[in-house]
Amino acid sequence: MQLNLKSLFWNGIFVLVLLSICWLIYASGKRIDYNWNWERVVPYIATNAESSINAPEDGEIVLAANNQLVLENLSGDVIVELGNYSSLNVYEGDLIFEGDTLASIEEWRMGPILHGVITTVKISAWSLVFALVLGLFIGLMRISSNPALKKLSIVYIELIRGTPLLVQIFIVYFFIGTVLDLERFTAGVISLSVFTSAYVAEIVRSGIQSIPKGQMEAARSLGMNYPKAMMYVILPQAFKQTLPPLAGQFINLIKDSSLVSVISITDLTKAGREVVSGSFAPFEVWFTVAALYLILTSGLSWAIQALEKKLSASD
Amino acid sequence: MKNIIRAEKVNKIYPNGCHALKDVSVNVDKGEVIVIVGPSGSGKSTFLRTLNQLETISSGAIEIDGIDMYARSTDINKLRQDVGMVFQGFNLFPHKTALGNVMLAPLKVANRPHSEVKKDAENLLNKVGLADRQTNYPNHLSGGQQQRVAIARALAMTPNIMLFDEPTSALDPEMVGEVLDVMKDLAKEGMTMVVVTHEMGFAKEVADRVMFMEDGELIVSDTPENFFDAPSNPRLQKFLSKVL
Ligand SMILES: Nc1ncnc2c1ncn2[C@@H]1O[C@H](COP(=O)(O)OP(=O)(O)O)[C@@H](O)[C@H]1O
Ligand SMILES: [Mg+2]
Repeated sequence: MQLNLKSLFWNGIFVLVLLSICWLIYASGKRIDYNWNWERVVPYIATNAESSINAPEDGEIVLAANNQLVLENLSGDVIVELGNYSSLNVYEGDLIFEGDTLASIEEWRMGPILHGVITTVKISAWSLVFALVLGLFIGLMRISSNPALKKLSIVYIELIRGTPLLVQIFIVYFFIGTVLDLERFTAGVISLSVFTSAYVAEIVRSGIQSIPKGQMEAARSLGMNYPKAMMYVILPQAFKQTLPPLAGQFINLIKDSSLVSVISITDLTKAGREVVSGSFAPFEVWFTVAALYLILTSGLSWAIQALEKKLSASD
Repeated sequence: MKNIIRAEKVNKIYPNGCHALKDVSVNVDKGEVIVIVGPSGSGKSTFLRTLNQLETISSGAIEIDGIDMYARSTDINKLRQDVGMVFQGFNLFPHKTALGNVMLAPLKVANRPHSEVKKDAENLLNKVGLADRQTNYPNHLSGGQQQRVAIARALAMTPNIMLFDEPTSALDPEMVGEVLDVMKDLAKEGMTMVVVTHEMGFAKEVADRVMFMEDGELIVSDTPENFFDAPSNPRLQKFLSKVL
């Protein structure tokens, strides 16, 4: 009972601190006469806007055999059927010029922020896969007894970890990207995967080295060659051990992906910057962007925890 | 009759300079059970591990079933399939169930069909008395059970030779018997076995020959009767007076 009261008290303190932080943000906004306008952000996430169907070329509106309006071009071919649209702007017999509005439809469309989220997810997912594969190979080279492989991997790891990601992005985009004629997106994925792989390699190395020597010996004594022993005995165990640090690294990857906006990839961060200038709601936009990043990172974190739980059956 | 194991003047010097084996020569016939005893650090494990090349040798020669282990044409992974090994610390694969441990090498090394491998593995676990523990992970088995799974795992590749490195030393006393019983059954079936152990009772009962190692040298090799009841070597006498 005593313990319960005490924990209740401290939980209360926790909630109180959170509430005061919220109040502080609100109060600071008030101080600079900021009008919070959250609804302004919504159209940039998704809109239910009208979009118009325009005539692709000159023609005339006629009633087709099935009693529906169609647009015929000057040589008499049907080019647009208008039966599917509810709000029509034209009548039978109208002369139409290229670019005229024929009809309009209402539909949900993603705003720039959601497009940014998709780009961020895409770039992070590709980079995650490549970083994992690359990091695994570099990590295996790192523990290899071959001096060439080992030293190459050490140079790689030190080089990548010793320079800022932003600089690496510029080098990949402006130097390698120019030489190999890479697209922005590819350049972004390359820099992020290379950067993350150096950290993954160290995680893989320490994971493998944490597996007792007897495991490799048992596998080899059964007649497995080195690659098979790695694949079926060592790596599955190391993988389980490295999941928590890998999760941290991949969360960093998602956050680091915001840096690719410097080479004009319209990811979530760049979308945020663009929207801020159009919406006159900078605070709301940046808080929204932060919340979306938080959703992505906690989603990944949750997925990895679920995987960890699944793998813990043998503990 | 041809020897199934021939070790000729084997020397092992570790990179740190430790001379762990000094001119050790041992010949083992098919079906023989050899027990090696000796004080800690005398080179017993090192010798056993040279027999499947978990340790390479510095000089000398080792032949398994007439095949020179260090010949260029020898595929060591193939040779190891013929030599099962059981470790003091079990070394079971913790991410695999008991059945998975036994099945892994036949599936991945011998590439045999799954259904056949599973049937054989079930028979092997049955043989070591663990038919009802197939789906247990190693962490959910007692030490004695783990070591019996390890024996089944080694047997799954149908080796002609089994090496045991102090298989009962890490076990609680009440579990030693169940593991020794499995080993006795194996010996009765005619398996060629080289066993490093401190279980003198097992040596007396099962061994065809008992060997004594000290300081990297093989000093005595004799029948269990002569070895235990009429030891002539003074160093062996001293050792036996301590352990018996
Ligand atoms: N990997 C190793 N590196 C260097 N020295 C070793 C290594 N393994 C064993 N030794 C040494 O070799 C000697 C024999 O060891 P070992 O074969 O384990 O003896 P035993 O099994 O009889 O106790 C010991 O002196 C030990 O310190
Ligand atoms: Mg030993």
